Amino acid sequence: MSEKLLELSHVTKRFGRVVIAEDLSLAVGAADAIGIVGPNGAGKTSLFGLISGDLSPDAGRVSLAGRTVTRLDAAARCRAGIGRTYQVPRPFAGMTVFENVLVAAQQGGGLRRKASYAAAGAALERTGIAGEANLPASRLGLLQRKRLEIARALATKPRLLLLDEVAGGLTDPEVTALVDIVRGINAEGIAVVWIEHVVRALTSFVTRLACLHAGQFVGDGAPAEVLASPRVREVYLGGDRGDQKS
Amino acid sequence: MGWVNAIIQGILTGGLYALFACGLSLMFGVMRVVNLAHGDLATVAGYIGVGVIAATRIPFLWSVPIVVVVMAAVGYVLQRTLIQAALRRGELTTLIVTFGLSMVIENGLLQFFSANSRGLGVNQAIVGASFSLGPQVQVAWLDVVIFALAVVVLLGLQYYLSSTKYGRLIRAVADDREAAQLAGADYRHVFGVAAAIAFATVALAGTAYGMTTTIDPTTGTDTILLFAFAAVVIGGLGSLWGTLLGGVVLGVAQQVGAQLNISYELLAGYAVFLVVLVVRPQGLTARRSQS
Repeated sequence: MSEKLLELSHVTKRFGRVVIAEDLSLAVGAADAIGIVGPNGAGKTSLFGLISGDLSPDAGRVSLAGRTVTRLDAAARCRAGIGRTYQVPRPFAGMTVFENVLVAAQQGGGLRRKASYAAAGAALERTGIAGEANLPASRLGLLQRKRLEIARALATKPRLLLLDEVAGGLTDPEVTALVDIVRGINAEGIAVVWIEHVVRALTSFVTRLACLHAGQFVGDGAPAEVLASPRVREVYLGGDRGDQKS
Repeated sequence: MGWVNAIIQGILTGGLYALFACGLSLMFGVMRVVNLAHGDLATVAGYIGVGVIAATRIPFLWSVPIVVVVMAAVGYVLQRTLIQAALRRGELTTLIVTFGLSMVIENGLLQFFSANSRGLGVNQAIVGASFSLGPQVQVAWLDVVIFALAVVVLLGLQYYLSSTKYGRLIRAVADDREAAQLAGADYRHVFGVAAAIAFATVALAGTAYGMTTTIDPTTGTDTILLFAFAAVVIGGLGSLWGTLLGGVVLGVAQQVGAQLNISYELLAGYAVFLVVLVVRPQGLTARRSQS
């Protein structure tokens, strides 16, 4: 693994008796492509919350490129280089597609005037929705919303991109197109951590797979090995405790 | 001719009401805060004007920018402290907190300034200046100026929100503050700026009201807040132009009511308010639907 970009060490988070993360540690390298799988309620989305700053841990440390960001809020972590998408896309519905991305380029990317317009345009090109730039975001369909979600995260100039089930609800060709976009982003040196139920989308792209269960990693390594491990199979097939959706 | 006069006067009064309402509408539209201290803050702006003029003896017009800047600063600080703390505990809490703030302000004003009403001491020649539009229609210049001010404020806000970098950011935060954070925006600061703008308009509203008549410590709640609410509800929540329309409809209803019988003035205004609530609760200019 190349130099460490993101490091979670011994992160714990509980909501009452519900364990979100139990002594979790994770290291992500600067150009890594990591997939996260796990049953519903395993704590996958919460893990992203802990990384992006939506949630603050009860114990443990989160650091980005050697700098501790545990106490920074989501906006500050975004400016520090962590980009994130939501499982259910949340565009600014009252604004155009371009404005959505422009806000991200100006705030998260810290860009001004022409540079921000150029960055917003590039992010739309990258995700293939430049043709919809002037449409109100509320008019977009699901696939386009997911692309916008990625474009908005991309415009903040992230060093680490967190993707939360961007392939869910899409057709096979759509998933393939999306994977190609993400592969291109990763090839530019942006680390990608991707939560996904559509495992085939992940295995075609990631070089490392981690399986989360009840707030702990039960597998972490090469995708084929992790998917073949008895513990992971048990968690997926027999061990789903039916907790709330992650 | 009496009716024509009533309608013209009503339209002009509507400008003042729109000015009352636009800060309330902005605070609700962006922060989802129903600021029950809105009217009292306008009164405070009026008293600050009285104080600034008395202390420095500068002409009235010079005091206006000072009051606007002071109130904008008060808005930013109040939002970042009291209102933000209340928001963290839920939207209902902001109702209670701003209601408490309203009581504190009213009683504070009573304590320091007594219940006597005061004027801004604007030259009577300015307040009384008027022109004639016909045998029975006398229009006060001051009313025209206030109406124009309301239109300029609303146009300015419209331009700011739709076409400037910060305006766009305010719209993004109003839309989804968590998503805005993920786009790198510090929503608390953005809320503060939005509150500062809202309070600046509140300062203009309080000053405009203080020019046309006198203010006392209870003016804020029993006149400004109620009329602002009525204008916002009639026009439609969150719509700036709806606010102007709401103000005008309220103003015309009051003046036409007064034309029927002078004691019907307020009643007619609230009757229209009630009818709109029952028939078209989303207001006359329905808000864009959000998916």
